[in-house]
Amino acid sequence: MTSFQLLLDGFAAALTPVNLLYALIGVTLGTLVGVLPGIGPAMTVALLLPITFTVPPASAFIMFAGIYYGGMYGGSTTSILLNTPGESSSMITALEGNKMARRGRAAQALATAAIGSFVAGTIATALLVVAAPAVVSFAIAFGPEDYFALAVLAFTAVSSVLSRSVVRGLASLGLGLVIGLIGIDQQTGQARLTLGIPQLLDGIDVVIVAVGLFALGEALYVASRLRHAPPEVVPVGRAWMGRSDWRRSWLPWLRGTALGFPFGALPGGGAEIPTFLSYAAEKRLARGVAREEYGKGAIEGVAGPEAANNASAAGTLVPLLTLGLPTSATAAILLAAFQQYGLQPGPQLFDHNPALVWGMIASLFIGNAMLLVLNLPMAPLWARVLRVPRPYLYAGIVLFAALGVYALNGTVVDLFVLYVLGLLGFAMRRFGLPVAPAVIGMILGPMAEIQLRRALAIGAGDVSVLVRSPIAAVLLALSALALLTPLFRKLLARRGLAPAPRGED
Amino acid sequence: MIGRRWRPELGLAVVVLVLGVLVVVGTLEVSAAASQLGIGPRFFPMLVGGAMVLIGLFYVADVLRGGHGDPEESEDVDAAAPTDWRSLALVSGIFLAFAALLDLLGWIVGASLLFFGLSVALGAEHRLRAAVIAVVMGVATYLLFVNGLGVNLPNGVFAL
Repeated sequence: MTSFQLLLDGFAAALTPVNLLYALIGVTLGTLVGVLPGIGPAMTVALLLPITFTVPPASAFIMFAGIYYGGMYGGSTTSILLNTPGESSSMITALEGNKMARRGRAAQALATAAIGSFVAGTIATALLVVAAPAVVSFAIAFGPEDYFALAVLAFTAVSSVLSRSVVRGLASLGLGLVIGLIGIDQQTGQARLTLGIPQLLDGIDVVIVAVGLFALGEALYVASRLRHAPPEVVPVGRAWMGRSDWRRSWLPWLRGTALGFPFGALPGGGAEIPTFLSYAAEKRLARGVAREEYGKGAIEGVAGPEAANNASAAGTLVPLLTLGLPTSATAAILLAAFQQYGLQPGPQLFDHNPALVWGMIASLFIGNAMLLVLNLPMAPLWARVLRVPRPYLYAGIVLFAALGVYALNGTVVDLFVLYVLGLLGFAMRRFGLPVAPAVIGMILGPMAEIQLRRALAIGAGDVSVLVRSPIAAVLLALSALALLTPLFRKLLARRGLAPAPRGED
Repeated sequence: MIGRRWRPELGLAVVVLVLGVLVVVGTLEVSAAASQLGIGPRFFPMLVGGAMVLIGLFYVADVLRGGHGDPEESEDVDAAAPTDWRSLALVSGIFLAFAALLDLLGWIVGASLLFFGLSVALGAEHRLRAAVIAVVMGVATYLLFVNGLGVNLPNGVFAL
């Protein structure tokens, strides 16, 4: 069957009333939680992960697709209406978006963000449909050494590219890898690093780590240095835009999509670099009114980066679904969601579970359309969500974090583990360690170990087996290059080019 | 000398270093029946532990040489403010007390107290309003998750 037919089957599965309802719940919850200040897409997905355990896998992933895209939409609303720096992937949107809002053009800024996200999300999801089968047919021949090399590349890329200091990125990665080691070794049944605590034999659940590092860590960090001034939310009515705004937005949307999708698909690419590049490109291309307005609230500076942001979210799904390789913290948590159902993304998933994969991809299209309808008229409601008094907001976040973690196994031991991880999350924020490498290390580490042991077993202990395949050799060479990024960055800085922005999600 | 060089970030760097050592030591305790070719249960943890020691050394050196990470920026955070240890301790204490007493109190009472305590600790001005919201949150989450989604939450001594 061609992928187009499979996609049609996916639509048939996703368009049942029950699954449409799950998609609607997903996008609504995703947007609602994504709008909340201090909560980025990764934390949105982590907090809502436990809810999906109560529904069957196909519906759960449809809901999850909605949460994923909804979280991205919600984040842009926050950055446009709230006059404070937010999570890094939507920080660029805030540069022009918030200035537009303060000049009385909040409705137009929200509209170009929402419509741009829809356009970019739809095009990028279509690109995913085309790219995924191609990558699958290429990856079907991958051996364990190739998968190990891919994991190493993901580790080094996310630690070095997304963080200003490589040693801090690597420290975060190491913390994640160590957490991933805890528990019984899958192949020999030996207990490792459990400190003799029986509850640790099964390892620490991904949900606890993600919720601890993101939700509780953020709550503790906010508690330690809460901004006491009340939040300044720009008032807004229904989001709409006029003809001249459309004329100025459509090209930036397309350019943003073209930048966002490939970067999202690359290890360590994430959303930060393409949004920044799109911002810079639109600035350079600005003519006439746009040129005068840039820096004071130009619509191009919202349209481009927002499109890049959403296109990269779809791009991230290419390596995730076809190779099982997460390239961002959000993708790592999505991978964990698959694992909770005993599913391993990769070429085999497309073979064994086509209904589930294509149903999820189809629901990305559906969720995207729902989000557009949901976001344009509901902007005033989201603006009100932003005014939630902070004490209640963070008390609520901790309450739901505790609920999700307790519900996993019904034991309070998990709550104490959650607290320890929350403290770690606090310390990482306080000292500027990026959280994404830790999450990726924790989730991808055990898989990297399995592939490494398989490869070495095939090679009968000969380490050179790791570079025998040309693909693996190239990937490992790229990983080494990734660790040298600070050198390149220094060279670029000397030439007067701005360094890439720092990232988190 | 040490006093002048001490900076809080050094603590985190040392934690990374010590954790690396602990991973190596902890892995030595794992019996290695299947490790004739060096690919038993000890190989990968040794690799990770060794790397952590190395990263930890670099991290400590970086902090000693004056390197520092920038505190993360977030919507509700005043990155320039000094750390408010009192709030941090209060929030920690409330959460740990909640975890310790949850099975005894049950979800509704425990969660209501958690929400009330945290919102007051974080600066909610109307105590009464906070208390009402807290009880609504405790009851609503219980009804939604236990009756609606079939999740198991503790009843405690005040079982419904």
